[in-house]
Amino acid sequence: MAEKIIGIDLGTSNSAASVMQGGKPTLIPAAEGTTVAGKAFPSVVAFSKDGELLVGEPARRQAVTNPDNTIREAKRKMGEDFLYKLQGKEYKPQQISAFILQKIKRDAEAFTGDTINKAVITVPAYFNDNQRQATKDAGTIAGLEVVRIINEPTAASLAFGLDKSKEDMKILVFDFGGGTLDVTIMEMGGGVFEVMSTSGDTKLGGADMDQAIIDYVIDEFRKKEGIDLSNDSTAVARIKEGAEKAKIELSTVMETDVNLPFIAQDSSGAKNLEVKITRAKLDDLVNPIVQRCKSSIEKALEDAKISTSDITKIVLIGGPTRMPIVKKFVSDTVGKEAESGVDPMEAVAFGAAVQAGIIAGDVTSDIVLLDVTPLTLGIETLGGVREPIIERNTTIPTSKDKTFTTAADSQTAVTINVVQGERPMVADNVSLGSFNLTDIPPAPRGVPQINVKFDIDANGILNVTAKDMGTGKDAKITIQSTTKMSDDEIKKMQEDAENFAEEDKKKKESVDIKNEAESFIYTTEKLVNQDLKDKIPQEKGIQITDSIKELKDSLSQDSEQIKQKLEALKTIVNEVTTELYKNASPPPGEQQSSDSNQQQSSDSNQQQSSDSNQQQSSDSNQQQSSDSNQQQSDPNSEQKSENTSS
Amino acid sequence: MSKNKKEIEEIESELKNTENNEILSQDSEKIIKIYEKKLSNYDEKLQRALADYQNLERRTQVEISQRVFSKTNDLLLNFINIYEDFIRAENSLSKDKINTDGIQAVIKNMENLLAENNIKPIDAVGEIFDPQIHEAVSMVEDNSLDDGTITQEVSKGYISGKAILKPSKVIVSKK
Repeated sequence: MAEKIIGIDLGTSNSAASVMQGGKPTLIPAAEGTTVAGKAFPSVVAFSKDGELLVGEPARRQAVTNPDNTIREAKRKMGEDFLYKLQGKEYKPQQISAFILQKIKRDAEAFTGDTINKAVITVPAYFNDNQRQATKDAGTIAGLEVVRIINEPTAASLAFGLDKSKEDMKILVFDFGGGTLDVTIMEMGGGVFEVMSTSGDTKLGGADMDQAIIDYVIDEFRKKEGIDLSNDSTAVARIKEGAEKAKIELSTVMETDVNLPFIAQDSSGAKNLEVKITRAKLDDLVNPIVQRCKSSIEKALEDAKISTSDITKIVLIGGPTRMPIVKKFVSDTVGKEAESGVDPMEAVAFGAAVQAGIIAGDVTSDIVLLDVTPLTLGIETLGGVREPIIERNTTIPTSKDKTFTTAADSQTAVTINVVQGERPMVADNVSLGSFNLTDIPPAPRGVPQINVKFDIDANGILNVTAKDMGTGKDAKITIQSTTKMSDDEIKKMQEDAENFAEEDKKKKESVDIKNEAESFIYTTEKLVNQDLKDKIPQEKGIQITDSIKELKDSLSQDSEQIKQKLEALKTIVNEVTTELYKNASPPPGEQQSSDSNQQQSSDSNQQQSSDSNQQQSSDSNQQQSSDSNQQQSDPNSEQKSENTSS
Repeated sequence: MSKNKKEIEEIESELKNTENNEILSQDSEKIIKIYEKKLSNYDEKLQRALADYQNLERRTQVEISQRVFSKTNDLLLNFINIYEDFIRAENSLSKDKINTDGIQAVIKNMENLLAENNIKPIDAVGEIFDPQIHEAVSMVEDNSLDDGTITQEVSKGYISGKAILKPSKVIVSKK
């Protein structure tokens, strides 16, 4: 079978993954089961006191007991030169994200039954090159080849099928998550999504809304009964659950009750909490939070230099956008109804899977979906001026070059400082790294010609090369940005991550065998005591009961012991059931397996489509590159490049 | 797929030409070969369709059982909330010295229903905190207990077979 590629929404608060199945994206459920975040799981990583690695729900559940060794929102630190310290060991943000990706890989393999080695990962539209590179490195550490990095709003638009539209459009993507708001305005035309502007608020999200409802319920009870429940943790836990339920119900009904009997007790007896919440009341409670989103929308429109009437489509992402008040707020502000039909909590992961499907050849699309560079890339020139080489919103992959010269007589070396950003002065942009190009033959200023070439691959990852045109000597340049890791470093981290995977595997096996034993005990007891009560000979019954007891006693021991006892019990049960069914009719005739055929045929299927796809995209790449080469005749020979090489 | 179609078209046109040339009898071997190719194309198509069908069938089975499991769990979780209200009612009435025999019988029936569905409460108070099944809501200092011992259960947790229906919410000790 052609290799499966998964799509990953590596989120700040929650992460999710999706894979194409039967032509449509399917969410990969987290192994620990559905949680409040649906099939997604919290982006939390922790090390327990015994050094055990915890990822997702278990990490979140233990956070209050172990705050120093629990990491939340590592995504905010991606691409920064930052180190987390956990149980005395240092970890880069890429490694923390890799633990999350490793769990996704495991869950995906359990779900699909295939080995997963490739993924498409989404990032916010405003992520710079360092942050994208760090995300790619995280994938590599986790044992995943990141075949493409795409912007989250682009992924969401794909999930809603907006790429299939033949018309050019301007899309406003409103991503309201648990703790952050991102507003992106994109332009789509000819299969290309261009980011026009992004804005947002990193401290605004659905969690604020839940708290507003909880506070209201507690306040109502205090007014009625004179009892303050806010310090009663049992009561607060019940109110939290009730408030969450009410919030969800009020998306479909106009009125609901938070009904929690026996929530408190005083001298007059038990107290029941009964608070009626109407949709109007809920709107009233969350409206101040919703209104705070307005400035982000306005800022995005202002930066994109367009008005609300220019927006053709609205895409909503994130759990809180399911609420009618949020939907209404966005459509009122923009003056248009939002797209519907895809769960806003799953849209980004779905879109990543669609992109993965296009790359794998599972999805046939006439459109060659291309992304663009989010920020301008350039180099530092004389006087700290930034000279752009690749302008923002250039369709990628792309390659552009410019020729520079020296600023002083007999200058034998130049430093190339690669910068990213929209400001004209280097100091106001982000430096991605700087390098030296040496051994330039001494010559008067302005004579040497140094060609600097920027290459961006389909993932938005930048490679810079330089060539001294005078000597014809190629100088190979490697960017050593602060967060980009060397291959050796990545390899070491991969090994570390694999060690944890091995431990996890052993632990999982031991849990599995225990679960299997418990479940088999349960079924056998039911079989012996109910279903086949009168059909089992007494001596066999005793044998089974003894064997069950032995298995139960072994449950606290190691998995090998449990395995042995379980096998023993299974043998006895099999003997008994075989005896019982001895006279039953024989099983139906041999079934012919067509597995091998199946594999063959789907292999050829996918291979074929993936081939044609590749051809399509490389065609367009070539066109792109030759286009860009032609543009490079704009000489900047007066500028000195302070530049690079190794 | 389009490749197959093209191939068939080529074969058919070749066959037509052969007929037109009226050299049918001499070329019978050639015709057999052409039909064999045709047959092998159909065979491949059939196998592919069968494989697609089997995949669909398998996927549908998995999807159905997942949906049933998830819906049953949702229903049981709602039922558990009411079951817990009965326990609270029983506790409260007992404190007021009111006969609770009837309520106790109802609770017992409810517990039987949960047990029949393989749903078990998670042990909490006195146990060592385990993030796989417990969720810590806060910590209390207690030097008399081992670090990480659960001192209070804020909300009861349940497991359904291997899956956690909901984790216990607990308060944990620290020294």
